[in-house]
Amino acid sequence: MNGYGGKILRVNLTTGKITKEQTPADVARDFIGGRGFGAYFLYKEVPQGADPLGPDNKLIISSGPMSGLMIPGAGKCDFTTKSPLTGGYASASMGGHFTAEIKYAGLDSIILEGISPKPVYLFINDDKIELRDAKEFWGMGTISVEKQFKDKLGEEYQVAVIGPGGENVVPYACINHDFGRQAGRGGVGAVMGVKKVKAIVIHGTKSIPVSDTTAYRQAGKALYKACKDASFLAEWTRYGTTVVTSWCDEVGALPTRNFSAGSFEDGKNLYGSVMRDKIVITDKGCFGCPSPCGKYSRSKKYSSYVEGPEYETIGLMGSNLGISDIEAVAQANLLADDAGLDTISAGNAIGWAMECYENGIFTKTDTDGVDLRFGNVEATFELIGKISRKEGLGALLSEGVKKASQKIGKGSEKFAIHVKGMEQSAYATHNATAMLLAYMTCDVGAHHNRAWAITYDLQVGRDLVVPEKVARVIWLQNFRPMFDVLGGCRLQWVELGIDRDLYIPALEAITGIHRTWVDYEKVGERIWNLTRMFWARENNGFGRSWDLPAPRFYEEAPKSGATKGQITKIEDVHRLLDMYYEQRGWNKDGMPTPERLSALNLAELVA
Amino acid sequence: MTAIIRATSALKVYLDGKDEFEVESGHTVRETLVRLNIKPELIALVVLDGEQKTKDYIIQDGDVIKVLAVIGGG
Amino acid sequence: MQLYVDSTKCSGCNACRVACSLNLFGESNPKKSALVIKPHFPVPGVYEVKVCTQCGDCAAVCPEEAIKLNSKGAWYVDFDQCNLCEACVPECPEDVMFVRVELANAAWKCDLCGDCVDMCGTSALWIEEKETAGV
Repeated sequence: MNGYGGKILRVNLTTGKITKEQTPADVARDFIGGRGFGAYFLYKEVPQGADPLGPDNKLIISSGPMSGLMIPGAGKCDFTTKSPLTGGYASASMGGHFTAEIKYAGLDSIILEGISPKPVYLFINDDKIELRDAKEFWGMGTISVEKQFKDKLGEEYQVAVIGPGGENVVPYACINHDFGRQAGRGGVGAVMGVKKVKAIVIHGTKSIPVSDTTAYRQAGKALYKACKDASFLAEWTRYGTTVVTSWCDEVGALPTRNFSAGSFEDGKNLYGSVMRDKIVITDKGCFGCPSPCGKYSRSKKYSSYVEGPEYETIGLMGSNLGISDIEAVAQANLLADDAGLDTISAGNAIGWAMECYENGIFTKTDTDGVDLRFGNVEATFELIGKISRKEGLGALLSEGVKKASQKIGKGSEKFAIHVKGMEQSAYATHNATAMLLAYMTCDVGAHHNRAWAITYDLQVGRDLVVPEKVARVIWLQNFRPMFDVLGGCRLQWVELGIDRDLYIPALEAITGIHRTWVDYEKVGERIWNLTRMFWARENNGFGRSWDLPAPRFYEEAPKSGATKGQITKIEDVHRLLDMYYEQRGWNKDGMPTPERLSALNLAELVA
Repeated sequence: MTAIIRATSALKVYLDGKDEFEVESGHTVRETLVRLNIKPELIALVVLDGEQKTKDYIIQDGDVIKVLAVIGGG
Repeated sequence: MQLYVDSTKCSGCNACRVACSLNLFGESNPKKSALVIKPHFPVPGVYEVKVCTQCGDCAAVCPEEAIKLNSKGAWYVDFDQCNLCEACVPECPEDVMFVRVELANAAWKCDLCGDCVDMCGTSALWIEEKETAGV
């Protein structure tokens, strides 16, 4: 099949049996690849009610038709599973070089099934595929394990590895790769850890077949030219995602002290220009990327090296914790990476704990004797380790803010900043209704990757609750994650502003299948509805109440910063959902109607 | 006394389809944006000679200032 | 003419190597490319790139005269004439002479097509006249 590796690899960890099957052409037609394959196999093969940490859950790792080819940003790998954090759909997208190697090994997806009796790593060298003993690596941090594999097997091998966080099955443990890329959110690392898979190491020497080599080379060159001609390529490369830090601070979107405000009085010490000057040494990119966003950094203060921090980590482990030293944020980033924890969920959980302490809900007895105030850098470093080991206060925080706040009570649920059990990422949404809706309706929980809509809020009016905003969020949700389906990165379109129509002839030349963006967005809509059905199937009473935002965003206006005194009304929260459900073709409780499912050819799959 | 503001293509809609404008020096970037009918809060990045500036930077003669709109975010 | 690289600008993306393998073999497979990117991570956190300098040492030792000059004045391997003796490989001062029989039936090297320069988003690669110091 042109554009594809050709095979699905199944690894039954309980029995040790490894099998390959042909990638089904009809699934490739209807779901394309990457996140699409993840959603399809998740719904079809994980039985209803499966324990996310039990043998019936699966970890589905998928490349897409773009991966490994001469297309800008051809380096994204999807990891899909039933989430141990939320009990619903989890999909995490990992950059770097792993996805390309999956294609070179003649594969499209790797499906981990069952549970291994002892720690193993999956070794793939073209057609030589084995489970090997991982005893010597168990307990080690991700950075040294990857280095050991690179030294032992050679640079051509690509490595995906979990840390102690995943081994200890922390519900927001992540998977690491290429010394600084992660499949971050939703606990994909916990699933890999409970299955006792320490790492996957992969090497492939096959070429990827394409339908029309001449047309593909031409279209690929046109895409790269568009990226190189983009007027802000140099500036984007200089700052990466940290380009938005100052702007978020200015418009009240920078999460500050557990999202109690959107501007941080010491924020300027975290801005991209400060970070660039102080610590950045290399612009590091994923496979095929002409606009490397990775900022590989060296902290003299902590004698350490880390890829990052990204904007998200600067938000959640910097301003959100009242920390203004960019080197401290870099160090926290490194500790979380090595432990294998999602920096967003971890930072959000620590922020919640700090607020509990400052409110008197926690005393020093609860915080293991630590003065856990906002701004305490050493306490933050310590807590990252404790969360990864489920030790002391880390045990409670490792459960995520939804469960932790339910256990503690005393009003702490009001400032547990999550949706559906996933901690909110780094945009404070006190008064930005499109972005708020994006968080409420994101298919994995409160994550910004599907619909990034804050600019739209500012363009048309932050507090407006109008159908256009809802339409915008829906369009972004159908379109943006198509890059995750294709196995590539959206940031060339998002950040450089290249014309998305340039991808169409490239993808057609690769796969031999003519599709327009309308066609791709229909696949996007199909996947969106399928994962919605998955949430409903796995969670009794799933519906509107699961789409509500953290109460902070409709109850507590910030007392300072750009959004001082501004808050969204709960009536508007419901109006947003009313419009969203209607425009999506769902019923009033937010469930896809039979007509909608039929129109998307999902009726049989979800019957 | 003039300088040039160069904008990302997303801002063309505010600038009559143009992406480059001659402006008076001596005013802050913020004031200048307002005069061009661009909401300052739509601009994520202000760059002069590769270095980030704030919107309070006072534009000098001969400056070529690039302004990046926050198109799509993260 | 010669290909130059500034390794400090390399981001490790490998777009150059995919373009190269497409030029040499019509395939998307960076392992079949004629330039090398060595990542040095986690410390010191940089990429090191090796490219062919068109020094001609490989051509000088090839017993089959399989390494020839093309219209750009660059040395390339005539696949039909190469007998895989590997005499060229240790001669290359940059280690960019490639023999991997599991991948191709002949040695291969850079032919100065320039596609890598076109794909490089950080402008780490460029082609210009050779330095002729001391000639």
